[in-house]
Amino acid sequence: MNTLHTVRLTVNGTAAEVMVEARKTLADALREDLGLTGTHLGCEHGVCGACTVLFDGNPVRSCLLFAVQAAGHEVGTIEGLARGDELHPVQRAFSEFHGLQCGFCTPGMILATVDLLEHTPQPSEDEIKEALGGNICRCTGYQKIIESVQGAAAAMASGLAK
Amino acid sequence: MSANEGWIGRRVQRREDLPLIQGKGRFAADLTMPDMVHMAVLRSPHAHARLLGVDTSKARELPGVFDVLTSADLDGIGEFPVLWQLPGQKASGIPVLARDKVRYVGEPVAAVVAVSRYVAEDALELIEADYDPLPTVVDVESALKAGAPVINEAWGDNVAIRHIVPGIDATGKAGDIDGAFAAADAVVKARFKINRFSGVPLETRGLVASHDPLTHGLTLWSSSQVAHKQRTQLASVLGVPESSIRVMTPNLGGGFGVKWDCYPEDALVCLFSQRLQRPVKWIEDRREHLMGTVHAREQVQELEAAVARDGTILGIRGKIWADLGAHIHSVGIGPAWVTGVSLTGQYRIKNYYCEVIGVATNKVPSSTFRGFGGPEATFATERLIEKAARAVGLDPAEVRRKNFIQPDEFPWFSAGGGVFDSGNYPAALEKALEEVDYDHLREEQAGLRAKGVYRGIGIGCYIHTSGFGPSFILGLVGYNTSGYEGSSIKVDPQGGITIYTGMIPLGQGTETTLAQVAADQFGVDFNDVRVVWGDTSQTPYTGFGSAGSRSNVAAAAILKAAEVVRDKSIRIGAHLLEAAPEDVVYENGGVQVKGSPEKRLTLGDVAKAAYLAHNLPKGELPTLEGTYVYDPAMFTIAFGCHVAVVDVDLETGEVKIVRYVVVDDSGTIINPLLVEGQIQGGVAMGLGGALLEEFVYDENGQLLTTSFMDYLLPSIHEVPHMELHQQVTVSPHTPGGFKGMGEAGMFSPGAALANAVSDALLPFGVEVDRMPITSNLVWSLLPKS
Repeated sequence: MNTLHTVRLTVNGTAAEVMVEARKTLADALREDLGLTGTHLGCEHGVCGACTVLFDGNPVRSCLLFAVQAAGHEVGTIEGLARGDELHPVQRAFSEFHGLQCGFCTPGMILATVDLLEHTPQPSEDEIKEALGGNICRCTGYQKIIESVQGAAAAMASGLAK
Repeated sequence: MSANEGWIGRRVQRREDLPLIQGKGRFAADLTMPDMVHMAVLRSPHAHARLLGVDTSKARELPGVFDVLTSADLDGIGEFPVLWQLPGQKASGIPVLARDKVRYVGEPVAAVVAVSRYVAEDALELIEADYDPLPTVVDVESALKAGAPVINEAWGDNVAIRHIVPGIDATGKAGDIDGAFAAADAVVKARFKINRFSGVPLETRGLVASHDPLTHGLTLWSSSQVAHKQRTQLASVLGVPESSIRVMTPNLGGGFGVKWDCYPEDALVCLFSQRLQRPVKWIEDRREHLMGTVHAREQVQELEAAVARDGTILGIRGKIWADLGAHIHSVGIGPAWVTGVSLTGQYRIKNYYCEVIGVATNKVPSSTFRGFGGPEATFATERLIEKAARAVGLDPAEVRRKNFIQPDEFPWFSAGGGVFDSGNYPAALEKALEEVDYDHLREEQAGLRAKGVYRGIGIGCYIHTSGFGPSFILGLVGYNTSGYEGSSIKVDPQGGITIYTGMIPLGQGTETTLAQVAADQFGVDFNDVRVVWGDTSQTPYTGFGSAGSRSNVAAAAILKAAEVVRDKSIRIGAHLLEAAPEDVVYENGGVQVKGSPEKRLTLGDVAKAAYLAHNLPKGELPTLEGTYVYDPAMFTIAFGCHVAVVDVDLETGEVKIVRYVVVDDSGTIINPLLVEGQIQGGVAMGLGGALLEEFVYDENGQLLTTSFMDYLLPSIHEVPHMELHQQVTVSPHTPGGFKGMGEAGMFSPGAALANAVSDALLPFGVEVDRMPITSNLVWSLLPKS
C-alpha cells in the first residue's frame, strides 16, 4: 500500500511527474502533489461533479480515478483554461451572468460547459441541462448558470464570426 | 448623476469572481503549511450505547501516526455551550469527544493525527471502541412514550422544554383563543410533518489550526460563518484567553447556517496543534458531513384554525414538537421557537396559542439552517389558510385577501410577539396572481381535468424576519448572542477607502455589496473601495455573525461609519478652505463650499492633511477613520408570494412544475443581480426540501442517507425556470431602508407545492400535509382504485 509509483502525465499542456501511492486519487494528486487546488472535492464519490477535469479532452470525475490511471494521459484543469491574462469566454460569461456564488462547483461547471460548447456550439436549454446534469450547484438555483452557458455560446459564436 | 454616485441599486458584476472562475480561490482544503499534519475522527456506529472503553494502542503504533485523543485525554476541556437557552430549558452541551455514552450515529469518539489523511483514516480502523448498545428513540412520538429510553439521563425524560407562546396584543394582553374557537363557523385541524433536511453546502467543513510557539497563541483557519463567535466559544471550551486565538476565514463554499455552529472538530484541531506544536488540518468528508454536521427543520405540528363563514381566521392554536436530535446544539431550540411565534404569518390573526416542545432523539443534533424556523411556520400557516378556504367554500386567494395585515396598519404587533416594520402583502399576492394569470388558470382547470390533466395551483405567502435585534430582545428570549454588526472605515493618506467588516462572505457577494454601499456614501469609484473580512485580529467583533440575511445590518453599520468619516472630512476640509463647517458639504468624492464649487478639496486632499496633521482644526485628532456599531432598532420583515402551477401524474405520483412565479419584497436593494441570485438559489433550496431532501433513519437510529446517492440535492433537471418579480417596500427602521433577503427564497416552496399538489388532487380529497412531496408520497396518498 505504501509503495510509491511514478506517474508521468501531461497537465494543462505541460509534462508532469508525481510519485504516489496506488490508492491516491487523481484529484488528490492534482491538488496535493501538483498544487492545482482549483479542482474541488464536494463528495468524493462521483455525484457532485465539482472535481470534473478534462481527461484526454473528455470530462471525468477526478475523485473516481486513481492518479496511476492517468499515466500517459492528458489532463486539463480549470487552471489551464485561461490563456495568460485572457479568460476563456466561458469563464467570462459565468461572471457576467452571475453563474456562480460561492464558486465551489464552478471549476467543474465551467469545464463541463467548455466540453459541451466544443461539441454543441449552440446548445438548446435541454442540451445544457443534459450536459450539466451531473454537476451540483447548491447556491444559484441553476437559472443563471443556464444564462451563463447561453451567453458563452453567443460570445463564442460572435468571436468566430469576427 | 456622476459615474461615482448611486452605487446602491446598481447591477454591478461581482469582484469575488475573478479568482473563483480561474480555480484560484482559497478554500480551507486548499491551505497548506510547512510541517502540517492531518486529523481524522472516529465516529460512533451506534445510535445509543454505553461507551465502555476506547483502546488506541494499535493506532498509536501505526507508522505515520503522531497523536490520538479520546475523552480520557480531555480533562480540563469544556463542552461547547448551548447559545439559545430559553427560560426553563434543561441543561445541555456538546462534548468534544463522547464520554461514557454515545447518543447518535456519527458522534465523535476519538481523533487521530497522522502524516496524511490517508494514514489517519487507516489508523481509525485500528482503534477498538467497546460499546454496549442501548435501545434507541428515533422520532418524537417514541421519545415521548412512557418508559422510553432516556437519552440525557440528567433530564429524567426526553423533553428539553415545553414552552408556551400565549397570543398577545400590542399591550401584552392575551387574546381570547377559546372564544375564537367557540365563535367559529368552521374549525380546520391538521397534523403536519416537516422533514429533516439541511443546508448541505457543496464545500464541507474545514479547519487548519496552527500553534504559534512564540506567543503561545493559536491561529485557526476555519470555514466558519461566524469567526468572532467561534473565537469566543473556543476560548471557553479550551480554557484559554480569547486574545490568544485568531480565527481567519478563507473562501467559503456555501454555509447556509450549518457553518454558523461550532463543532467538536474545531476544538480538536486546536488541541492537537498545541500538543504537537505543528499545524493540524481537518477536512470533513461528505459522509461525515451528512452524519456530523447539524441537521435541521424536523417538526411534527398539530394545529387548528377557527374560521368564520366570510373567511376570517379567528384564531390558530396547537402544538409543535421539534426533533432536536441527541444534544441541544448551539441554537437547537431556536428554530422551533421561531416557528412557534410565527404561525400567524402575514395575517391579522389576534387569537393565538402555541406550545413548543423540544424533544431529544438519537439523531444528529438539529440547529441552524437558512430560514431558521420560518419555512416550517410558512408551511403550516399556508396549508391552514388553504384548508380554511375549502372549509367555507371560498377561493384560497380570497381568504388571504380577507385576512392580510393592510399596508396602513404598520407597525403591526403580531400575536406571537413580533413587531412588523412595513409591508404591502396584498400587493405581492396580486402581482403574483396577475403574472401567473390566476383567473385563467382556475377557468381552464376543470377542462383540463376532464382531459385527464390534473393541474393544481398553489399559493405560498411568506414573511421573512431578519436583522435580529436590538440585542436586549435576544436577551429576553435567552439567546446568548447579540444583534449588532460593527464596521470600520479607514481612509488612507492617498484617499483610498478600506472597510473592515465582521461579516463572513459565504458566496452571497458580501464584499461587492458592502463595497457598493461605501462607494455610494463617499461618491467614489466602486473599484477604489477595499473590503477586509475574515480575520478576527483585524475586523470588528460581530454580535451575531454572518447569515444569509445580515447584509442589511452590516450595510447600515457602513452607512453610519461613513457618516462619521464624512463629518470629519467636512470639519477638516472647512478648516483648510477657511469656511465654516456648516457652509461645507460632502459631495461627489470631496468637500466643497456650498454654492462655490471652485472651493473644493477631494477626499484625498483632506486625507493627506488629516495624516500630516500640520494644520488641523483645534481639538481635531489626526488620521481619517471611523467606526460604528449598529444594533438594529428592530427586526426587519421581508415578504413575498410564490405561486406554483403543477401537473400531477396519477400513474406515478410525479409532480411536474409547469410554472413557478416569485414576488419578493426585501426593502431597498443594493445589487439587483445578486438579489436575483440569492432569491433563485433560495427557491431552489426550498424546492429541494419540498420535493427531494430528507435525512432518513431506520428504527435502530442508523442514518440511511450518507451519500449524495441517498440524500438527493436538486440538480439542474429538478429546478424549474423561476419567474422572479421584485417589489420594494423600505424598512422604516434601518438606515437605508434595507431588509434581509438571503433566506427569503426558502420560505414558500414547500407551502406552494403542497398547496398546488393538494389542489390538483382535490377531486380525490388528497391533502399533502408533509414534506418531502416525493412521487412515492403522492402515489401513496392517491386512492388505489
